[in-house]
Amino acid sequence: MPTRRGSGDRRRSRLERPSAEGGASAPVESGPSSATDAPEPTVARADALVEAPAGKVPRRNAMFPVGVNYYPLDTEAMGWEDWYQRDFDADFAAFSEARFALVRLFVSWKKLEPQVGQYDEDALEHFAEVLSAARENRLQAIVCFFADDRHAEMVDVPWGKRRDPLTDPYLISREVALVQRVVNRFRGEPVVFGWDLANEAFASGFQSAEAFSTWTRTLRESIREIDSERPIIVSVDPEAFYRHRSVDAIPAIDQCEFAVSHATASYRAYAAEGPITSGPGTYLDSFLVHSAARDLPVLMDDVGVFSLDNSPAEEAAYLRTVLYSGLMNGAAGVLLRRYRDLDIECREPYYRDPFEVLVGVADVAGRPKPACAEASAFVRVAARVDLRRYTLIHARTAILIPAERYEPLPNLAGLYDPRACLQAYISAKEAHIPVTIARENDDLGAYSVIVVPGAFRLGADTWARLAEFVQQGGSLVLSYGGGDPDPAMRGIFGVEFLGDGGNRSKLSCRIAQPDVLGSLRAFDAPIELPCYALLGHGGATVVATDHRGSPLLTLNQFGQGRAVCIAAPLERAIAQGDAWAAPEPVTELLREVYGAVARTAGCGTPVECGEPAVELALFNGVEDDILLLLNHGPTKRTAHLTFERFVASISDVRGGTPVEVGSTTFGVPLEPNGVATLRLAYK
Amino acid sequence: MIPRSPHLTLAEGLARRGNLQQAVEACYAALRINESEQLAHALLAELMLSGDFYDEAITSATRAIEIDPACSPAYLALGLAYDRQGGMWDQSILVWHELAEVEPDLVTAHVQLGEAFSAAAFDDQAIEAWRRALELDSSEARAMYNLAIAALKKEGMATALPGFRRAGELDPSQDDLFFALAGIHDDGNPAPDPSEVPADRQSRLGAAGALAFEEDLFAAAELIRLVLDEDPDDVEALGLAAYLYLKQEAVNEAMACALRALTVSARTPTAVYALGVAFAKRPSLNRNATRVFSALARAVPAHPMPHVLYGESLLGQQKYGLAAGSYRRAITLDPACVRARFGLAAVLLTEGRHAEAAWEMRRAAYHDTRRQGLFWTLYTAYAEGGS
Repeated sequence: MPTRRGSGDRRRSRLERPSAEGGASAPVESGPSSATDAPEPTVARADALVEAPAGKVPRRNAMFPVGVNYYPLDTEAMGWEDWYQRDFDADFAAFSEARFALVRLFVSWKKLEPQVGQYDEDALEHFAEVLSAARENRLQAIVCFFADDRHAEMVDVPWGKRRDPLTDPYLISREVALVQRVVNRFRGEPVVFGWDLANEAFASGFQSAEAFSTWTRTLRESIREIDSERPIIVSVDPEAFYRHRSVDAIPAIDQCEFAVSHATASYRAYAAEGPITSGPGTYLDSFLVHSAARDLPVLMDDVGVFSLDNSPAEEAAYLRTVLYSGLMNGAAGVLLRRYRDLDIECREPYYRDPFEVLVGVADVAGRPKPACAEASAFVRVAARVDLRRYTLIHARTAILIPAERYEPLPNLAGLYDPRACLQAYISAKEAHIPVTIARENDDLGAYSVIVVPGAFRLGADTWARLAEFVQQGGSLVLSYGGGDPDPAMRGIFGVEFLGDGGNRSKLSCRIAQPDVLGSLRAFDAPIELPCYALLGHGGATVVATDHRGSPLLTLNQFGQGRAVCIAAPLERAIAQGDAWAAPEPVTELLREVYGAVARTAGCGTPVECGEPAVELALFNGVEDDILLLLNHGPTKRTAHLTFERFVASISDVRGGTPVEVGSTTFGVPLEPNGVATLRLAYK
Repeated sequence: MIPRSPHLTLAEGLARRGNLQQAVEACYAALRINESEQLAHALLAELMLSGDFYDEAITSATRAIEIDPACSPAYLALGLAYDRQGGMWDQSILVWHELAEVEPDLVTAHVQLGEAFSAAAFDDQAIEAWRRALELDSSEARAMYNLAIAALKKEGMATALPGFRRAGELDPSQDDLFFALAGIHDDGNPAPDPSEVPADRQSRLGAAGALAFEEDLFAAAELIRLVLDEDPDDVEALGLAAYLYLKQEAVNEAMACALRALTVSARTPTAVYALGVAFAKRPSLNRNATRVFSALARAVPAHPMPHVLYGESLLGQQKYGLAAGSYRRAITLDPACVRARFGLAAVLLTEGRHAEAAWEMRRAAYHDTRRQGLFWTLYTAYAEGGS
């Protein structure tokens, strides 16, 4: 990417180069006109030829805004009364310069209502000034009413007398009054983009889904009495929130206009611990986007690193990965965690804020870190991906999160299933299939392929719906998760279940039917399998067996659809083992099976790519397409791409002279955690 | 002795057999009858830890400690849960401190305490904790690796390399490689009495191997001498002799035996191994060690240790990229290879990839503590003599 290789000055001189000297059309390097035989230089030349595009350049992508949380306090030395008492004009100017479009501002209940029913008009006026400054810097604000940042004491009203603000009717009535007062005061402000009822830290006090839903409904209705248009959200990721609080936030979120995804520190430690710039952790954010989506647009919230353990380069690489994976997976926008690092007092032995509000994209003095530049660079690229003209390919493959995920302990399914689903999602991504997440009670008819990764148990009605899904032409991939499976399995998968063979420390694969489910290969790999289904003949085609001849992989034609059974929970085994050192043959097996099933179902990869660690997203346009590539690995890679159509030329989305390809294949070199954004023209 | 409910006894049996789900259910059953049964909470914490469910492990272990502040297995589970989850180093430090007080001779508590200090950027305290661990057990490899990493951070690779070498020498799995190459396996029977070994080459060689396996180096050397007296060019005997010399720090003699074996037959893996290790013990001959270990890694590609040895020799030559590749191959073959993890961490630190390096060290600790199985030792001791 030119933005990372050269300095700003060099870029500027390149952009300002007069056309008379060759400028736009002059090739930087001589080389073959066709890139077919020398794929890598193709893109290298495309990079080198980036130039100022013709016409007006969009500053931002209106359909994918990037913003930042603007917390009221930046140093621990400040107290709650210092709420937004700083030079916010300068900060907003910096946001504008970085081309951020959104800023989340936090209302301080304690500040605005110091005594019951007594509102501090000066504080309200001050908040109006903050909003005014945001407007002057072409920002839009999301106003968050009830947030806990563990520092500004925004919801600790002294007159509350320790009553629970989430359930106490009196305090809730005061909350309604506050919300209506603020909304009434600012409803005419075009700078307000939407109303955020609560952040995750505040909502973590809810003890039940009903209480959360009721509170949301009450607050929402109080806003709708005054403002019927602006979107209302609760900033809670349903998956991470359930993991943290065992409270289902979906009924509350369903009342809102936006959903929110948020890979919290504890959820990351649970689902994909490890380095933030490589391995499963780099897929977690997009997994949560799909998990949160359902029928709502998803705002990626609190994006950023959790602690200062990472180098600035690692922070930037992480942010790049998250931002691009958000765009590539249909998120509706991004809010970065905070702007400035919190200036904390030296405290022993160590201090880490459990609400993750320590680390920002600028240091304590407001100097932007590389991560800020990365976000700014992303905005510039995203601005060129016009989501009104280009449509992301719809995902017709879904990973099914079983309902047992919501069962409490001692049932361990609730702990195992999300990990297995994440691993299945990663395998599908590595097979370059457009994939999303579904829940057991969702409408399965929206998909062509359903993957059920190692579920212990599905509901009886789910089996009936799955049977109907396959009967009607859908494809089902299920890996055995242990225990006695439902009798419906025999009909759908065409296998007799003869019992659980118990745990194994090695997976053997012998191919019985080559090329039926992708190009599988025989292997013996060390992996801890918690169970292995002993399958007998029931009409299915045995595609692969273990070393003793027991079926490992079967394929059954059922009605108009196909059902594939994997005899062991490979996804769970990879997730529970060392996901960074999973045996390559096992991950390859999953990729091949998923890829082959999706391909046959007509929803396979839109572009063949030889690098599993490179994620791709194809945005279809009328005359041309846009292809985004993201390297999830810590090493350089070249993505060798094969298209169904003849690619005439490629160019960087930011502009530049198209480079002739004249082939269906070419290669794109990618730096560690690197991205490529290409505009494709076809013959 | 602490009384245990039948459900808890059942849970213990299930847990020892690895039946996680049933064991968890039995623990819950025990707690439904008596919520203040600290052993059930401690066992539940361990079960959750074994599934890498850290939040649940922390909850259960904390409850066990609330019930009995001297519940050492709960401290262990709690500390490991904090460490494996990462980030909560202040809590972790407190827990390891407590465990070191409850079980002052528990080496792992000091090693973990050092790692928590190090993660919290208290380097001096970390070094002190690792030194304390080495005082308790001079063969504690992870403490030694951590000290080497600390030296690398402070003073660079040149200062750290001797530490890595010493830590490598403490690693018993290197001997496993030799015995695997020599075809010597533990069949469960004790090594024969040297005086009763039949006077033929095969019997003597087999007995020498068995004695070497049991670290009776002098008796093994005596039998090998008898074999070599009859045939000085016996390559298998020369390979074993080289190994025995290595174990007695007679590097020159080991080198001579290994070279002699390779002169007779270049395809003697035990001699290749011994020669490489002998070269590696002489820093000036590290380049030769690299060549030898490269050949060994090609000859035995499915065993992680040759890749580790090759990586270490490359590390000594500051060929970090190649070393990282070799370490990664070793980790792919054996994700629990602590030595490869620390080696890779060293390489990553030299490249400024601190977060990834920290992750590799955390993974090393993860696998090392799982391998140790300390929980059951503490659990049994606590259950039998707890307060």
